[in-house]
Order: sequence, then structure tokens, then C-alpha cells
Amino acid sequence: MQPKMLLVDVGRCTGCRICELACSWAHEGVFNPLKSRISVITWRKEGIDIPMVCQQCDTPLCQDTCPTAAIFRDGKTGALVVEENRCIGCRMCIVACPFGGFSIHTERHVAIKCDLCEGEPACVKYCPMGAIEYVPVDKVGLAKKRAGAKRLSELLSLVTKGVS
Amino acid sequence: MYKYGGYAGKYIRVDLSERKIRVEETPPELVHDYLGGAGLAARLLWDEVEPEVKPLSPQNKIIFATGPVTGTLFPPSGRYAVVSLSPLTGHWGEAHAGGAFSPELKYAGYDFIILEGKAEKPVYLCIEDDLVELRDASHLWGKDTSKTTDLICAENGDPEIKVACIGPAGENLVRYACVINDYYRAAGRTGMGAVMGSKNLKAIAVRGSGDLKPALPEDFTKFSLGAFERHARGEWAEYIQSTSRTYGTTGLMDSMNAIGRLPTRNHYDGYYPEIDKVGSEEIRKCFRVGHKSCFGCAIQCKYISRIKEGKDARTQSEGPEYETVMAYTSNILNSDLTVAMRANYLCNIYGMDTISSGASIAFAMECYEEGLITRGTTEGLELRWGDGEVTLKLVEMIARREGFGDLLAEGVREAAKRIGKGAERYAIEMNGLEASGQDGRAHKSVGLTYAVSVRGADHLRSLCIIDELGFRGKAKERFPQYDTNLVCDLLDERYKGYLVADQEALFAVCDALIVCKYGVMWPPIYYWEDFARLIHLLTGMEEYADVEETKRLGERMAHLKRMFNIRLGWNKANDSLHPRFTEEAMPSGPGKGQVVHLEPMLKEYYEVRGYDWDSGYPTPSALESVGLGDVANELKKMGRLVTD
Repeated sequence: MQPKMLLVDVGRCTGCRICELACSWAHEGVFNPLKSRISVITWRKEGIDIPMVCQQCDTPLCQDTCPTAAIFRDGKTGALVVEENRCIGCRMCIVACPFGGFSIHTERHVAIKCDLCEGEPACVKYCPMGAIEYVPVDKVGLAKKRAGAKRLSELLSLVTKGVS
Repeated sequence: MYKYGGYAGKYIRVDLSERKIRVEETPPELVHDYLGGAGLAARLLWDEVEPEVKPLSPQNKIIFATGPVTGTLFPPSGRYAVVSLSPLTGHWGEAHAGGAFSPELKYAGYDFIILEGKAEKPVYLCIEDDLVELRDASHLWGKDTSKTTDLICAENGDPEIKVACIGPAGENLVRYACVINDYYRAAGRTGMGAVMGSKNLKAIAVRGSGDLKPALPEDFTKFSLGAFERHARGEWAEYIQSTSRTYGTTGLMDSMNAIGRLPTRNHYDGYYPEIDKVGSEEIRKCFRVGHKSCFGCAIQCKYISRIKEGKDARTQSEGPEYETVMAYTSNILNSDLTVAMRANYLCNIYGMDTISSGASIAFAMECYEEGLITRGTTEGLELRWGDGEVTLKLVEMIARREGFGDLLAEGVREAAKRIGKGAERYAIEMNGLEASGQDGRAHKSVGLTYAVSVRGADHLRSLCIIDELGFRGKAKERFPQYDTNLVCDLLDERYKGYLVADQEALFAVCDALIVCKYGVMWPPIYYWEDFARLIHLLTGMEEYADVEETKRLGERMAHLKRMFNIRLGWNKANDSLHPRFTEEAMPSGPGKGQVVHLEPMLKEYYEVRGYDWDSGYPTPSALESVGLGDVANELKKMGRLVTD
């Protein structure tokens, strides 16, 4: 089975940060955005909200840089997962990741990141805008092409007019 | 671990005069009896602000309060209340705002902040978890709310800081200056920004990293997920999608005009013939550039708007909300939406309530038309209805207290007093607060809502919507004992006193939890059973699992806010309406020919609340039955309690 990925539709995100609450609840049993594995980065004045989360790279720089081999790939979901008892809190993964996929836990001081909730991501379940989808990696390219084409087709009125 | 779930567990007390800061445990008995938010603040204000205190004096106190829901998963969870003795009305002042400031305060570890005294020089309160300190704000004084927020984030090197601040209007003690958080969110009404200004308090900046935990975590989370489901897939899903989520509150422009209660020409009329130029679809099409949301909300009614062309091109702000569009279009007979967009932007950066500022301008225009003021009074400005340029000029003059703006900055009650010549006829206010975007002539229950609202002519203490928008199913379900046709008849006064009393207590709970009124009234999703369950699962206070006990909580808070006003001299005479609503028949639209007959509705309301018909004072049993025996005793000493 092809792995699935979190696909964020930036255009749909409104910055409500429910994903952060759902995530911190699912992983930590508390409500605390700083313990969430997904974070909505906001430019509030400009009105821009972009959820940032681990992309589960195929060639993960975090894994390469981890000196204790604490990051491994989950066989079921394909997620990169931190084995906390091996993590020494050196934060090299934070340095290496180009997208900010990691944070340091405010109390346990270990690296925390998205683990795709064993295949049922809490952020996806709670997002009221459908801005985060959990989709098979091999289908995502075509799905995005279709979404882009739909916008074009609406501009060209191919879909909205003349078809019953 | 705090005794009750959902709370941060501590609060901050700041004496600005002495520059003293104390952090203490949130009193468990206080949250048990008053929950949080405006309810908790009501008890604090009653206990700590004596009746002789003047609103803009150092002795007044201002409270920023979150609620137990704030920052948790139950939608929506992003609101806070600002409460103080109002410099606009002279009695109970309360304003709420959404955004992300409030949850951040909870994560920092605090349920509320109470500030007193007056700082010698401008300061701002900076909070980062355990670090709480006053910082110099001399360099921020005079700056608008947007710039102030930018500078505070920049000087602390942290773009994630949440800021609630005042702009020049608050500094200049404009009586309806507001507090602006997260750039665009206004705790708008009753002049809370002026109280901050009087204390030399420019801003509160906050960052937090702590946890919040419900008392019964699994059940609470399941219940919250259910709440999301009710918004996303329940009976109201389609309604939310096609109304509030698509148009925000601006959809009310069309629906209020359709029922004939869209304030037009300084509340003279309730029907605006040029609605097509200022309706929600026009706003969406011409100005909207982004969709936004408050923290933790399942409705998501916020938008970013931008003026795309002309001399004010690139003006961008969140909103405008229905009330702002109403105040700056129909109510001043202006059909140019760019004026409303610009006014919204200016009010946000100056930190000024759009409802009261718009109402002050409408008042001035009518006075000008009637010849009560002339170009001499206005220093050359011609205040013609619908003149956008003059309107925008006035907004800035009010915020800066320049020229004629200085008079309007006092609010219409005081401005009318100073103008004299019967100007109060055009000052559409009750108990000092300018009327918001409703009209009791075409929606009778809102007439009563205005008359008994503790903060003045305002809808948000008890607006009934099952009659307003004709939610018949809910009317039947909630009030099976009354004839549904009459309950839903906008133009019939019968049963409306019962509806308003019920809604007032329900809203008191909303304002204490704190949840938004959208989802409670529009659409009417949550009701008593939901709040009873919510409070129990979230806080662990078992008695509130009993719906009757939760109702008693709502009534306790509703009573207490009124008693605060009674102690300040409020009586039956204050439960009244401007003659525009009771004597001048509605000129056109669906409410044509109607006036408000307040008495039958007021009688029902008094009957529920246990207030004396002659004096408006409470009976001892009315207060004792909700646990306000000590309040009754104090009123008794003042002769403001009647016998049972």
C-alpha cells in the first residue's frame, strides 16, 4: 500500500488552530498549542495563515543528522517517528529540517513531531474547513492538478455552463 | 493542580499607581459561583468598585477575564471579556472580543487580570508565563493599534506575542474608545479603551506555554467533537455554510432589511431602499480577499476586506461586521461601501467603537438637518446625510478630539445635553449607550432587550433570534407552553418578556464560559442542556450537570449585573426606550406603522425576575434564591430592596 500524507490546502486555512488543539490532545492529553506537532503560522495583520507540519520526507535530513538514530520510519504509516528514550535532546533535527517539522517538548525536552496518529490524524478529523487532507502520496499529484484545472475551467466557464 | 478543570488557576492583580504586581490563586469559590468571564468580573466589580467611584478615576478597576472554555477544544474558545465601570454610560461596562489573545493568556497561566490605579507614565503589561512586568510605553503612546502591536512584537523579538491595546481614541479618552487585540478584534462597547487610557495603560502583551486540562478529559473531548459534528454535519450545517460562513455577519444587512429592522437614517426608519448597493453579496464580491476565524471556532465567520481601487486602495482590515456596515451605510444614508470599509479601518487603528462612532455621526447629521447645529458649530463642515468624505473626516476628528469631533467623542447623550434645544430627540441611546443595529418596532422583543440591557441600548445581553429569524422548531421545543405562532410573531409583544429573560440568563452563561453567541443564537445550536453538560465535564462542578442549577447560575449573573447598576442609582425609569421606538411609528418596510409597547413585555420580564413594578428594585427572595443574599442585604441598607 502506498503511504499517505498530510496535504495542507493553504487557501482553505482560516487560522482557527483547532488542529493544534486536537494534536496536543491526541499526543499529550492536554490543550497546549506548543505541544502540538502541527502549527499554524500566522501573519495576522496581512491575514495569512499557513499550517506547518512534517512532510515525512523520503530522504529525511533529520534522520541523517540524528546522532542516536532515534528517528525511524513507521512500517504501517510511513511516518518518521521519534523514539523518545533514544532522543538526547541535541536538537540537530530542528537544525536540519527545512520546514520546521520538529519542536522540543516544553517539559520532557525531547524532539516531538507529527507521527500521523497511526494513520488517523486528529488534525484532519477536527479541521472544520477541510484544509488538511490525508491522501495517498501517489494520488496527490493528479489530485492537485485537478484542483488547479478546476479553477481554470471555471474561468473558462467549461464546467459551470452548458452541461446538465 | 487547580481544584476545577479548564482553568489556568491563577490571576494577576496590578496596582498601576504603585507599580505592584501580585499573582494569586484564582479563588475557587469565585469561579464556582460565577464561572468566569463577565460573570466572575461582575462579582469582582461589585465587591471592589464602590458606587462613588468615577469611571475615569484611578479608583476604577478594569478586568480582563477569560473563561473555563477559553483555550480548550470546545468551539469556540477564543474570547475574553473586558469589564469596568463605563465612562460612556456611568454604569455597568462590558465588552467582548475574539481572536487569539484570550487563549494565550490562559496558556500563560492566568484566568484573569484586574488592574487598578493609574500609572505615572504610559506603560504596558508584559506577560510571558511566570514573568509579569510593567514596561515603559512612552514610545508607543500616540501610535495606532496596528503600529503598537507591530512594535511590541518587534521589541520583544517574538512574532507570536498576542497584544490587546488602545489607539489614540483610548488615549484621548473618547468615551467609546475600545480595546483592540490581534490587530482587528474589538472589545468594542461601553468605552473600555478610555478606561485603559485614563490609567496610562497602553497595552497588554502575552505569551504562554502551559497546559489546560478538563476535569473529565475523555468525556469532555467526546462532547467537543460532538459539538463540531453539530456544526459540520448536523441540522444546522447547511445553514451555517450558506449564511455566517459565507457572508460573516454582513448577511444580516439583507435579512434585517427584509424584516424591516435595518436601522436607517439615525434609526428613523427600518428599511433601506438602496440595500442592493450595500448588501452582503456586494461586500463579498467587491471587497473580500481572505477568510478568517477566531481561535477554536467551528463557524468561522471572519473575513479580510480590502478596498481595491480609488484613493483609499489597499486599505485592508478584518471585517467589517454587520454592525459597522449598518452604522456607516444605511444609518447615515450612505450607499458607498468603500466609506464603510474605510471607517472600519480607521476605527480599528484608532481603537474606537464603530457602533457608537457611527451613531454619533448619524446624530450629528440629523441635528444638522433639523438646524440644531450649523456650520458655525461644526467649524464649516456641512453634515449632509450620506456624505462619505465628511463622515470619514469626522471619524478622525472624533478619535483625535479635534474641533467638533471633541463634542461627538462624549457620546450622543452628553453631546445632546450640550447642544440643548431638544437635541436628545435625535440622540438614539438608552442609558447612555448608542443604539446598535436593531429596531424594536419591527422586532418587538428587541425593544425589551434594549430597555433592560445592563449596558444600555444594546442587543448582546439578550437578543432573541427564534422570533427574529423564525426558528419555529426551536420555539416549539424551548417554549412548548406558549403558542408557537405568537412566540415567532415579530410584531406581537406576547411572551417576549419570558423569551428575553430566558435569553438574558443564557447569554450570561455564554459570557462567563466564554463562548460566542454565534452557535447559541445564530444558529440556535447550544442551549441549557448543552451548557449544563459542558460545565460539568469541563470544570468537574457536578451540581451544574443539573440543568436547573445551570439556569440558576445564569440568573445569578444576570441579576448581579443589574444590581451593580441599581446600587449606582438605576431604577424602573432606566428600563425604558427612546421615544423614537415608542412614539414615532415606523415609516416604511415590513414594520410600517409599528411602535414598541414596552409595558406588557416589561411586566412579563419583571415577573420572571422578581422585580417590583413601581420601583424596578428586587425582592429579597429574588436575590436569595440565586445565592445573592449578601447583595440583597447591601441594597436593603440603601433602601433599594422591596419586601416580598
